[in-house]
Amino acid sequence: MTLKVTRRQFFKLGAVGMATSSMAMMGFAPEPAVASIRHFKLTGAKITRSNCTYCSVGCGVLLYSRGDGAINSIDNIYHVEGDPDHPVSRGSLCPKGAGLLDYIQSESRLKYPQVREPGTHEWKRISWDEALTRIARHMKDDRDANFVDQDAEGNTINQWTTTGMLAASASTNETAYLSQKIARSLGMVVLDNQARV
Amino acid sequence: MNHAYGNAPMGVMDPPSVVLPKQEHFAQRAQRLCDLSERIEPLRDFLAFMAQLSRAQQRALERNTPAWLPEPDAFVLALEHGMPPLGTQALCRDIDFHSELTALLDGLDLHIGEAQRPLLDTLRKLPKEEIDRLAQEVLEARPGPEASRGLMPLIAAALQVAWLRLVRTLPHPPKRPTAEARSLCPCCGSLPVASVIQIDSKRSGVRYLQCGLCATQWYLERSKCSVCDQSGKLDYLSLEDEAGERLLPTQAETCGDCHSYLKIMPCEFDAHAEPLADDLASLALDLLLAEEKQYRRSGFNPLLIVGE
Repeated sequence: MTLKVTRRQFFKLGAVGMATSSMAMMGFAPEPAVASIRHFKLTGAKITRSNCTYCSVGCGVLLYSRGDGAINSIDNIYHVEGDPDHPVSRGSLCPKGAGLLDYIQSESRLKYPQVREPGTHEWKRISWDEALTRIARHMKDDRDANFVDQDAEGNTINQWTTTGMLAASASTNETAYLSQKIARSLGMVVLDNQARV
Repeated sequence: MNHAYGNAPMGVMDPPSVVLPKQEHFAQRAQRLCDLSERIEPLRDFLAFMAQLSRAQQRALERNTPAWLPEPDAFVLALEHGMPPLGTQALCRDIDFHSELTALLDGLDLHIGEAQRPLLDTLRKLPKEEIDRLAQEVLEARPGPEASRGLMPLIAAALQVAWLRLVRTLPHPPKRPTAEARSLCPCCGSLPVASVIQIDSKRSGVRYLQCGLCATQWYLERSKCSVCDQSGKLDYLSLEDEAGERLLPTQAETCGDCHSYLKIMPCEFDAHAEPLADDLASLALDLLLAEEKQYRRSGFNPLLIVGE
């Protein structure tokens, strides 16, 4: 991407220039102001545009974060507000969206795959590879056992009704398209979206 | 839209893209400068003087009658075609800021300290051509000759009165500037002094740039650099004292793409924040940033002019 600089006029407002600034020339000593900066420090915040993940409206939000710009600074988010420039939501958020900060900071927020084995009452952390392999195994076994390729009259129907899929809310059109294609190509009949729930 | 139960929002927020300054703008700025002068000890006298200057600007705006005013329909074409109707270069020969300056100096006479009195005397004696030359420096945001730099803020104050008076005569606000000129004032084409995030219900959380000359405010998206349009490497830096308390509402919106900054005042932190006044009061922020040597200042404040 090329950098488009729309205007190039800059001003040198620093300690060096204060002696010849209009302020000094008007008879106001700049020294106290220059000395005062020793009592202050600069603190930074970032504002990142994002979308609310709750429903299909996809309201715009601004996420305020502190930190040094490290990539995984999600823990540092301290404020969330509606994005007034977003063409759909224009700064508004519903009560769920307005509470996004608690959702981000929630102690019970799911951050990695977990499994509760049959007959046990404890959640066990597993890797993504393990989780995906297990899901694929369950799907394959269930599909092999329950897939219906013909109805009673001999018409080909290729249905798999014993497993369903609930897709995510903040999906893009492209993600929604792929979810639909994958689920339907397996013969899956029950497919819904969390945004409608 | 009417709701039987409770007070639901009145539909979708549709903030105005350009907001013209109010008639009492200078009086409000004066009040803010006065408050700030009591809070910022190292700049007390300077801000108190600027408060007096703003008060004198308000009096000049209300009482002076300039020798030249444009025809009532003079701006129709410019407004229709998205040109700044009060462009500084087009109007600087016609506009009568000399009478505004005289009114300003008369209004200041009784209210300033001994150290500043020679400024008034010098300005009164200065030939018209010399004042015109300094005014041109101000309008082009140049630093001017060092020897006369102390006079420039007073001339700038007169120019502010002259332009704000014309802005008040516009039949309606201009349209939002086109993409190439988005960071130049849609009324007069000058540079912004800083930006402000509003809190009133019609434009809650919406950001506006404010013109350093005519105080017009115009819309710019949040979290976007006003110089290079990028939004990827913005930081919002503010001053904290040793106890971790925020000194002023002002932050510097610094851009890591073009290495410039413009100050931004979220009214959420202080409802009375006024971009030009708070810019002067937060001089320490500029000085600290200058020490860091990473970012150059893009905001132009004609009441504080520095050399090159």
